[in-house]
Amino acid sequence: MVKRAGAPGRRGQRRSRIWARSLALTLGAASLVGAYESGSLTVSAAAAQAKLDAAKLKKQLESQDPAEIREALEQVTKAGTAAKALVPTLNALLTRGTRADLLPSLIEATGRVEDVSSSAPLAPYLRHRTPAVRQAAVKALSRTKGPEAIKALTRGLRSQDAVVRGVSASALGDLGAKAALPDLQRAFDQKVLEAAVSIGQLCDGASCDEFLKRLGKVRFDVMTAGLDQMLFRPASSMKDEAKLNVVSRLRALGTAEASRYLTDVAGRWPKDYSARVKQALEEAAKATSKGASAPSDDDEDEEDDE
Amino acid sequence: MHLTAWASCLGAMAMLTVACGAGSQLGSAFSTEWQNDGGRSIAALQRELSAPTAPAGAGVVVGVNGAGVVAVTLSGQRWDRPGRLDSRPVIAGDVVLLSGGGRLTALAAATGAELWSIESGGRALRGAGDDGQLTAASLGALNGGRSRLVVVERSGAVRLSAEPEVEIGAPAVLGGVVFVPWANQYVSAIDGATGAERGRLLTRRQVSRALTLGDGLYFGESELLRFDEQVGQAASGGGSLAVLPRREFPGNPRWFTPGAEVLPPKASAPDRVRRFALPKGTGKSGVSFDGDRFAVTYFRVAMGASAKDGVVRWARSMPKDVLGGAAVSGGFVLCSEDGKVSVIDGQTGAESASLALSGPLESCEAHGGSYQVPSKAAERTLAEQITEIVASRDAQMVPAQRFLMQELVRLPDDSVTQALIELATRPDAPPLLGKDAREALAGRRSGAEAMLAALEREYDFLEDVLLPPPVGPLADALLAMKETRAAPALARHLNDPANAADDIMRAARALEQLASASELSELQTFFALYRATAVEAPIVQATISVARAIARTGGAEGLALLRQAAKDPFTHVEVKEAIDALEAPTEKTAGR
Repeated sequence: MVKRAGAPGRRGQRRSRIWARSLALTLGAASLVGAYESGSLTVSAAAAQAKLDAAKLKKQLESQDPAEIREALEQVTKAGTAAKALVPTLNALLTRGTRADLLPSLIEATGRVEDVSSSAPLAPYLRHRTPAVRQAAVKALSRTKGPEAIKALTRGLRSQDAVVRGVSASALGDLGAKAALPDLQRAFDQKVLEAAVSIGQLCDGASCDEFLKRLGKVRFDVMTAGLDQMLFRPASSMKDEAKLNVVSRLRALGTAEASRYLTDVAGRWPKDYSARVKQALEEAAKATSKGASAPSDDDEDEEDDE
Repeated sequence: MHLTAWASCLGAMAMLTVACGAGSQLGSAFSTEWQNDGGRSIAALQRELSAPTAPAGAGVVVGVNGAGVVAVTLSGQRWDRPGRLDSRPVIAGDVVLLSGGGRLTALAAATGAELWSIESGGRALRGAGDDGQLTAASLGALNGGRSRLVVVERSGAVRLSAEPEVEIGAPAVLGGVVFVPWANQYVSAIDGATGAERGRLLTRRQVSRALTLGDGLYFGESELLRFDEQVGQAASGGGSLAVLPRREFPGNPRWFTPGAEVLPPKASAPDRVRRFALPKGTGKSGVSFDGDRFAVTYFRVAMGASAKDGVVRWARSMPKDVLGGAAVSGGFVLCSEDGKVSVIDGQTGAESASLALSGPLESCEAHGGSYQVPSKAAERTLAEQITEIVASRDAQMVPAQRFLMQELVRLPDDSVTQALIELATRPDAPPLLGKDAREALAGRRSGAEAMLAALEREYDFLEDVLLPPPVGPLADALLAMKETRAAPALARHLNDPANAADDIMRAARALEQLASASELSELQTFFALYRATAVEAPIVQATISVARAIARTGGAEGLALLRQAAKDPFTHVEVKEAIDALEAPTEKTAGR
């Protein structure tokens, strides 16, 4: 979910961690930081391989005993995609509705199974009156994917719940929802900062240009989340010319933070990526360093690194 | 009444009360030992004075600014007079009286020319009257007490200067007789030629002012007694009374201030909250108001109301606070803090003319005299006039806005509904005003199209729609209008968490009757989401309403869904009971 492109060096790793923290705090999900740092955001493989007694779990889920249901949901959550057999039961429970204390667990468990058929029954919970339910639903939808999820998450950008907006914005990029780009751009303008990453993941010529127009207007450290995605996309997804255009815009910006960022990206540039772009990055970093005198927010961090 | 030193005072320019022997002059004029004559003496005087009519005087507006007095006649003639004042100027017929610097000065209202000036005896001006020959003025200490009455000829000759022991109010002069209110219940009529007390009025109504208004002489304060053939009956509670409707207006505006008070040169809040009306006789025993109108001001808002029932007929937003004004034949003259003088058509509220004084003003007084306000057609409907005021973003105006909101909802115009919707959804609307707008909307029975259009809107962060429509009040109104076209939007709003729980409850209540099978999907979603999770009482109630709507529109499938929910121990107990109650008649029917 929270991605950092390229092959970061020590300083790059630190900056990536800072970004992950920043986004995680925005999302209200501090656990994401730990997940990112441990290299995994999905349920462990061991849990996924666990043997399930699907029939027993189905019976427990359909019981009217909260303790039984809770226990079954815990097992499904641990099993993740291995619990596919229980999808119809989970979907039926969602459609029928259940107790408030069980609902977040039910939604989370359904999300962990990652079955696209669950997106439709999950979608209404994005508009539940209880914030915890909405927030569980938006995270679950980002896992179940599919057109219904994209539709619900695109609508989630319009929610009054900042967490729903933020997670929706992040998830739409992961789900490749190019049709949501106009809404993501608007969301970004409305300070849904998570949209930057998704725009960077999804944009093409015109929509990338639209994003780049905010350079110099929007806080630079916010912009770099999207710029990073653009620059480190594989050549099949974004051509060199488009990346050179990004570099050129950063060079034109000519600020100290642009210079530092260009240097940082050049340092992280993968060996098998375009040499032409790397050369442009280095030249731009050198050119902008002459005028780079203004302090920036992360000066202190860099001093620590050194 | 004995005025032994009366003659010796004639022509004295700086007459001290000691020299005039005021106390003895007045004799028994202000005696409380007077025997009630049942109105005979005042009635007799009225018969004697029935020929002279009160002089109309000049139409003039007099303001006080930092430099002194500025004035403009209603025909546009300007004049000014520098100097410090110790009280508010008083316009009496053709004369403007000022007190300040230890002197009482009379100026010609039309030109500002000085007519005379006498020592004020260390007192400030309270009120004055003039009949074209004599000017009577009452003076007193700034904080009350030390009453002084002076009667001065046009030439400046002081006919009377006296210090009665009682508190006297604002006097009037008619046909050479000086009418002096005192002790809030008497008016002593003193002959200007002989000094004799010609009669006395006793009234059970508050009386601190005698004043000539329009074509007549009146006594009173919050209501006025006309000096006509019926005046003798005042002692027994009768007489021809000019009484404005008792309806409450914002800030409880006064018609007249107590006549025994000295008004400071600088206006305060009560001066900005006033009533203006011009009474006129209707024959032998009646008083009406010119054009059946009176005006009320509340800071920057002016409104005209029917003198019969107090219903607002027009409303205007003024550029600055209204500091003073007067009722004039055909309308009103209102004077604003910035020096603007607006001449308002009493029937329509339209501005017929405007004049300007050199502002900013500290206070302002106006007198209509014989001026006739030119008529002017209304520029906008009453609904539009009120809507503009109600929509203004001035926190000080909230009481007037709330009052006008009550007037607005009486109007059936569709535009009123639209205005209420806008007010209820305006993020910066004062909370009380927004609440009033919601309540008013719920009671509307017109403007369905505007309501339906409003319901189409929903919270949308990207579109910057950060306040949902007033779903609850709209649902109430549309239900009362049996407007089934509202059902789809109401059903969508059920599942929008941006709506308040109370709004959801009212939407669901409306859907009990308005929903059709087309809304089943939204109803079922709501039911699934809340049948077992509802905590807030309104949401529990909404779930019950939705269950009823499903039962009515959902056919066999809907009933099956409800039965399943009724059996589920997780379903909220009140929801289960409601479903059971729905099922009961069906089962009974099936059993027959």
